[in-house]
Amino acid sequence: MTTLGAVRQAIAYLVLLLVTFLICFPLIWALSTSLKSPRDVMATPPRLLPPQVTLENYRNLITGKQQYYRADQSYVPTTAAPQHFTSWFANSVVVSLGSTAISILISTLAAYSVTRFRYWGRRIIPYFSLLGYMVPSIILVFPLFLVMAELRLTNSLWSLTFGYVSITLPFCMWLLWAFFRGIPIELEEAAMIDGASRLRVFVDIVLPSAAPGIIAAAIFSLIVSWNDFLFARVFINSIENLPLTVGVMHFFEGTHVDWGLMMASAVLMTVPMACLFMLMQRHLVAGFGAGAVKG
Amino acid sequence: MTIRLEHIWKSFGPVAALKDVDLELPERAFVTLVGPSGCGKTTLLRILAGLESATHGAIWHGATRVSDLAPGKRDIAMVFQSYALYPHMNVRGNIAYGLRVRGTPREEIAERVLEVARVLEIEHLLGRKPKALSGGQRQRVALGRAIVRKPWLFLMDEPLSNLDAKLRVTMRGELKRLHMRLETTTVYVTHDQLEAMTMSDRIAVMDQGVVQQYATPAEVYNRPANAFVAGFIGSPPMNFVGTASVSGGEVALDCGPDGRIPIAAAPPVNGFSGAALLGVRPQDLEVLPARRAGAVPAVATLIQLVGSEKLVELAFGAAGKLTAQVRADAPIEAGHRVWVGFDPARLHLFEPASGRNLALG
Amino acid sequence: MPAPADWRKADRRIGVLFIVPFAIAALVFMVYPVAEAVRLAFYHYNPLDPQGARFAGLANFRTLAADPLFWHSFGQAAVWTFSSIVLQTAIGVALALLLHLPLAGISVFRGLLLFPYIVPTVVIALILQWMLNPEIGVVNWSLRGAGLVDDNVYWLATPGLAMLSTIALNVWKYTPFVTICVLARLQTIPLELYDAAKVDGAGVLRRFVDITLPQLAEVLAVVVIFRTIWTFNKFEEIYLLTRGGPGTSTFNLAIYSFEQSVANLKVGVGAATGVVMMAILFLGSLVYMRLFRFDEAPQ
Repeated sequence: MTTLGAVRQAIAYLVLLLVTFLICFPLIWALSTSLKSPRDVMATPPRLLPPQVTLENYRNLITGKQQYYRADQSYVPTTAAPQHFTSWFANSVVVSLGSTAISILISTLAAYSVTRFRYWGRRIIPYFSLLGYMVPSIILVFPLFLVMAELRLTNSLWSLTFGYVSITLPFCMWLLWAFFRGIPIELEEAAMIDGASRLRVFVDIVLPSAAPGIIAAAIFSLIVSWNDFLFARVFINSIENLPLTVGVMHFFEGTHVDWGLMMASAVLMTVPMACLFMLMQRHLVAGFGAGAVKG
Repeated sequence: MTIRLEHIWKSFGPVAALKDVDLELPERAFVTLVGPSGCGKTTLLRILAGLESATHGAIWHGATRVSDLAPGKRDIAMVFQSYALYPHMNVRGNIAYGLRVRGTPREEIAERVLEVARVLEIEHLLGRKPKALSGGQRQRVALGRAIVRKPWLFLMDEPLSNLDAKLRVTMRGELKRLHMRLETTTVYVTHDQLEAMTMSDRIAVMDQGVVQQYATPAEVYNRPANAFVAGFIGSPPMNFVGTASVSGGEVALDCGPDGRIPIAAAPPVNGFSGAALLGVRPQDLEVLPARRAGAVPAVATLIQLVGSEKLVELAFGAAGKLTAQVRADAPIEAGHRVWVGFDPARLHLFEPASGRNLALG
Repeated sequence: MPAPADWRKADRRIGVLFIVPFAIAALVFMVYPVAEAVRLAFYHYNPLDPQGARFAGLANFRTLAADPLFWHSFGQAAVWTFSSIVLQTAIGVALALLLHLPLAGISVFRGLLLFPYIVPTVVIALILQWMLNPEIGVVNWSLRGAGLVDDNVYWLATPGLAMLSTIALNVWKYTPFVTICVLARLQTIPLELYDAAKVDGAGVLRRFVDITLPQLAEVLAVVVIFRTIWTFNKFEEIYLLTRGGPGTSTFNLAIYSFEQSVANLKVGVGAATGVVMMAILFLGSLVYMRLFRFDEAPQ
C-alpha cells in the first residue's frame, strides 16, 4: 500500500491510540485504584491519577494484615483478611510451573515418538489430541474431581497440577507435533552417522531445534494454568490451598469491599502474565533460524 | 578393503525400488551412482549408510557383514544434499560433533578440526552459525564434518545440486582433488551425467531400480550396454534413429517410398540382421558442404550456436532427423543441402525391443 | 533374508517408550473423564452420597427437556454467542484493517494487541465489577458527568444490562484472536491485486468489497466457527461477573450444568447438560469440516 496523506495518518494514529487506550483502560484503572488510599478510592468524582500515590494496598496484601474500614466513628473489619494472599500467589506459581513441566515433558516425548517412529495409531494421536483440546473444561471438571477423590488428592495442590495437565496437554501435544514435523530428519540422520545413539540425537540435536516450539507450548501452558478458576473452585476447599484466581474472590466477603486491595491483587495477578507476554513477543519475533538446511 | 553390495533388493510396500543390485566397489575408488530421479540411487546410498535396510541382500566391508550395524558403527561419513548442518551449533561444533560423540580427547578434536578447516579454507568461519553462511560455505562445512572423522567410506548425496553453475564447476574439481588426497572410497550420487563422467573411477548407471551398466566412464561412453545408458551419458545426447536396419554387413536407413539408403558398413554385431535402433552421437557425425562418396544427403534445418560449436539439425526426409555438432565456423547455414558422413566405428546398434547393445555379446 | 537388526529393535523400543507417558496421561486425564462425564449423565448421582448412585436411564435428559430454565439457558447462550461473535468479527476485522496500515511504529500497537488474552478472566471480571459499581464506579460517573444518564445504572443487577456487560467482557478478551488471524491473512494478500483494481478505476470501498473481503472469507469462516463453538460453552466469563444472575438472566448451558451439580447436587443432570454441550460441539465441528472441505474442493 502506498503511504497515506498526513491528515489520514493523523486520523489513523488517533484511532489507534483511542483503541489502545480502551483496551488497556481496565488495567490502567485497576493500577490507578490500587495506588490510592481507601479514602481516595471512595472519593468522588473518581480521578485517573491518584492525588496521593500510596503503596499501602500492596503492603497489606503482602503482609496480610486485616484491614479496617472507617464507617463514621468506628472501625469495621473489611473483606476477608488478605493474610492468605502470599500463599495463594505461591500456590499459583507452584501449580502453574508444575503442570507446565509435566505437560511439556510428556508432550515433547510423545510428539517426537509420533513423528519419527512408525506404529499403529501414530497418525491419529495428534488429531485425537486436538479433539481433546476442544472439550470444554466444565464437562471435565466433575469426573476429574471424582478421579481426584479416588486418588485422595482433593484439596491438595497435586489435584490442580494434574488437573491442569489434562487441559494443557492436548494443545501442547498438537503444537509440538506440528513443530517436530518441521524439523528435517536429515539432521538426525547426520547425527546418527556421526555416531550418536538415538537418545543422544534426541538431546543434542532434536531438543535444541525444537526449543522455540517448546517455549511457545510452555508459555501457553503457564498462561492457562495461572488463569484457571473452575478447577480450583471445585477441587480445593481450604482457603490456604487456593490459587490466586479463586482466592481473590474471597475478598468479596465481609461487610465492605476494599476495592483498593482488590485492584492491587488484580494487578499483582496480572504482572507475571504480562512478563510472560513480553517474553512471548520477543520469541515470536526471533523465529527459527533454518539456515542450516538448504534454502 | 573392498565394499560389496550383494544382491540388494528393496521394496517399499508393493513398489520395488531396487532390483538385484550387485556391485563391488574397489578400494579407494570414486564410484558414482547416476540416473534419473526415481531410479533408486539415493535409496541405494541410504542402504549403504544404514539409514534404510535392504529387503534382501547384504553389505560387506571387506570380510565383515555390516548390513545389521547401526549407521554410527559403520565408520562412514555422509554429505547430505541439504547439508543437514546442526543449526544451533557453530561451524566448529558441527565439525567436531562426530569426534565429540566418540569421546575423542578435547585437544585432539581442536587440532583435527583446525586441520580440516585449513584444508577446506573455512578457518575464518569456525565461529559462525550455519544460518550466517552462504551455500558454498555450508557445503564445505558439511564436507569438513565428513572428512574430520577419517572414515572408511564417504557417501555423498547430490552435494553440488544446490550450488549455482559456476560454483558447481569449481567444487567438482575440489572434490576430485580432495579424493586424490584422502584416497578414501567414495560413493557419489548425482543425476548430472557430466559430474559422473568427470569425477568417477567407476560409474553405475541406474534406471528403475536396476543397474544398467557398471563400468569406467570411458567404457560407459564408448560402449554403452544399452540404449538407456547411451542416451543418458553424453551431452548433447545421442541421436536415436528408429528407421535403421542391418543387412548384408551394411547399415541402412529406411526412407519409406524412397527405399533404403545405406549409410555405412555395419559395426560388428555378431551376425545380427534386421531392424535395429541406431545410435550416433552428434559429435560423431561428419557434416560436409559438398558431395563425397559414401556420404548421405540431408538438409540443414536449424542452427544453434553454442559458443565454439554449432548444433545443426539435419533432416533425412522420411528417415527422420538427426542433430550434429560441428565447429562454429563451419560453412553450414539453415536451408543448406549437406552431405553427412557416418563412421562405422562410431555407430551403435541396439536391439529395438530390449535396447541391448548388439555389439556386446 | 536377514532378520531385522537388533539396533533397530532397540530403537523402536525407545519410540514406544516415549509415547507411553502420553498414553497413560491421555487415558487417565482425557479419555476417562469424558467417558465418565457421559456415563454420569445416565445416573442419579449426589456428590455427598456417592454410594447412593442409581442408574437413571434417560431420566436426566427428560429432566432437562422439561426444565424451562434449561431451555432458557440454551436460548440465552445462543443470544450471548451470536452477539459476541458479531461484535468480535466486526471489531476484529476493523482493527485488523487499522493495524494493516503502513504507519511508523505500528508494530508496537500490534504487539499490544494480544494483551487481553493473557489477562486472567478473574482479573478482568473484578475490574469490570469495580468499574461498573453503580455508586462509585468510573463508568457510571463518566456517564453521569457527560449527562447521558441521570440515575445510577445497575449494570450487573439489571437483567438486560448484565447480559450486555458479560458480552462486553467476552468481546474485550477475545477480539484480539480475530484480529490476529485476519491480520495474518491480510498480510498475504498480494499488493498487485489492489494495484490492478486501482488501474481499473476501483475506489477504496470497491477495493475492500471486491478484493479484501473475498480473500478474508475463508479465514473468517474458520474463525467464526471456532469462536462460536468456544463461546457457546464459556463458563468463567459469565460466572465471575454475574454468577448467572441477576436471577438466571445470564445463565448459559455451562452455568446451568455447574449449578445443577454444585447447588442442586445433581451431578447426573449436570453431566447430561454436558452431553448436550458436547453434542452441539460435535455438530459445530461437523459444520466446520464440511465447510472447510467444501472450500477446498473447487480448488
